[in-house]
Amino acid sequence: MDRNDSFREFMAAHQQSLTRTAYLLTGDRHLAEDLLQSVLVKVLGRWPVTNPPAYARKALVNQYISWRRRRVSTAELPSAEPPERSYSSEEPTIVRIAVQRALSRLPPKQRAVIVLRYYEDLTEQETAKVLNCSVGTVKSTAHHALARLRALAPDLAPRFSELEGRKTVEGARR
Amino acid sequence: MTWLRNVLHDIADDAPRLDLTERIIARRERRRLLAPALMTAAVTVTAAVAVAVVTLTATAVVRLAPQEPVAERPGAVTDLPARGVGPVSHAYLTYCRPDDGRVPAGCVEGGWQVVTRNGRTYRVAQALRNDTGYGIRRSPLAISGDGRKIAYYATGAGTFVVRDLASGAVETAPAKVPKGWLGSITHLLLSDDGRYLAFSKRPPLQDPAMVFDLRERLVRPLPNGATPIGLSPDGDTITLAEYAPKSRLRTVGRLWSSSLASDAKAVDLPGNHLAGPLSPDGRTVLAVSHLPDSTCRGVSGNVVPVDPRTGKTVQRELAYVDTGTGEIVRRVPIGGLPVADHRVYLRGWIGPREITAITTPLTCGDGRDGRTATMTRQPSYAPYTVHAVNVDTGSARKLATYRAQSPLHLVLPGFPGTL
Repeated sequence: MDRNDSFREFMAAHQQSLTRTAYLLTGDRHLAEDLLQSVLVKVLGRWPVTNPPAYARKALVNQYISWRRRRVSTAELPSAEPPERSYSSEEPTIVRIAVQRALSRLPPKQRAVIVLRYYEDLTEQETAKVLNCSVGTVKSTAHHALARLRALAPDLAPRFSELEGRKTVEGARR
Repeated sequence: MTWLRNVLHDIADDAPRLDLTERIIARRERRRLLAPALMTAAVTVTAAVAVAVVTLTATAVVRLAPQEPVAERPGAVTDLPARGVGPVSHAYLTYCRPDDGRVPAGCVEGGWQVVTRNGRTYRVAQALRNDTGYGIRRSPLAISGDGRKIAYYATGAGTFVVRDLASGAVETAPAKVPKGWLGSITHLLLSDDGRYLAFSKRPPLQDPAMVFDLRERLVRPLPNGATPIGLSPDGDTITLAEYAPKSRLRTVGRLWSSSLASDAKAVDLPGNHLAGPLSPDGRTVLAVSHLPDSTCRGVSGNVVPVDPRTGKTVQRELAYVDTGTGEIVRRVPIGGLPVADHRVYLRGWIGPREITAITTPLTCGDGRDGRTATMTRQPSYAPYTVHAVNVDTGSARKLATYRAQSPLHLVLPGFPGTL
């Protein structure tokens, strides 16, 4: 099997999950495609790599942070707005829009930490490895990110707080 | 699982379904092939910069980094900056008085706009404006396969130029082309490296079509009235296609080995077809059955691979096994693409197995049985949907929808197809 074939196998298995992560990071379908494409060209350039899914995810997250820092004007435009009125945290569509909108206003590293910790379900140690930083930095970034999400989506503030408590307990257990 | 994880999964369900594999492999291959050339160029540039720095006084300030364009308000349309523009996804011609419907932002009557992959739109103010009101002069524009270069007729230069969007470098064609030589349908073909540029027009008139080698400053005449649809990687052989009065392919070889283009060969295609760009193997062409303008009947959207040397339809696999016979007929039905009530135009290849196809809705004159109805194109801006069609399976996936007034008004990266 040549390197292109093994890359094809990897893509068949992991392309969609990487696309989902890219979409959560960028919030835009076209930007997600651009980001993923640029990262995967680099990944293929170093192929074969050890643990391709983890390698690609790490490259994806770091490329996203680097892009956002350089290209401040490519901020995504949410397609819907949460209602002006106060809403229940049990209304899934509204909650989703509110979270999406709040995520779009997070600095890139905070958003990456939220995606890695709460979507990819990585531990603080694993997240630190992806971001090339210390566990302490991950903890403080997550703390600041949740605080900002609480401010950006005040109706969801209690649920974000509850989340932070739960992750801390889980982290201590691990 | 936390509630936030559920919500994030819910959001991620909106992610696009992509199949980037072959595109990434092709991009990687291109980079690999370009790397030695870039290394040589980098060494040359480094030496030049070193000399320049040494000759400057100690207080001189040298700005080596390319100047980035000023960040624009999202959705704003500005003139193309001198440099620092990213790859473009498409270009379109703007007319500001459509019969009905919305006028594009930043509209200039008969002017071209390019749109980057990041969604920035720029007017190409340097390009000759098209005659207003669908006149006899069509000023064409072409985009290289990687979206990084564009070619257009520069009013100031009196001929065609190729512009590198990132660096701003402009190469001017080695011969002037009077504006009067531009026909009502004018085509440009730009090689991926920006070195070769071919131009032709319809009606053919008496003036020549031509191909330029911008690096060696050479010009060769071409058969007139045909669309240039492909060029060999060494620039030595060009393929042109005609669709009226009959579908025909012309191959002209040894372009640069003598002062006159020679070794020309013409073959007729079976039936009435619109040829797409030459396939990456350089030996086959995909064509789509052409709908006569006088009727809405006989609609067929089958994609037919055609060997440009014989004009015969061939099996798609021949492009890859290179049997050299090119005589086996195979039709690949398109799946997931509206073909029964849409026009289909083939455009650039986006990998060894995928070609772009543009579809736009048909309208029939009387709208009853279609038997004698005259087809009319929508006078206002109509949707043109771009799909990637897998030439193995015929399956299509939608890439984007743009708005234009004619297929000739919408340009995608890569070699052009007929119409």
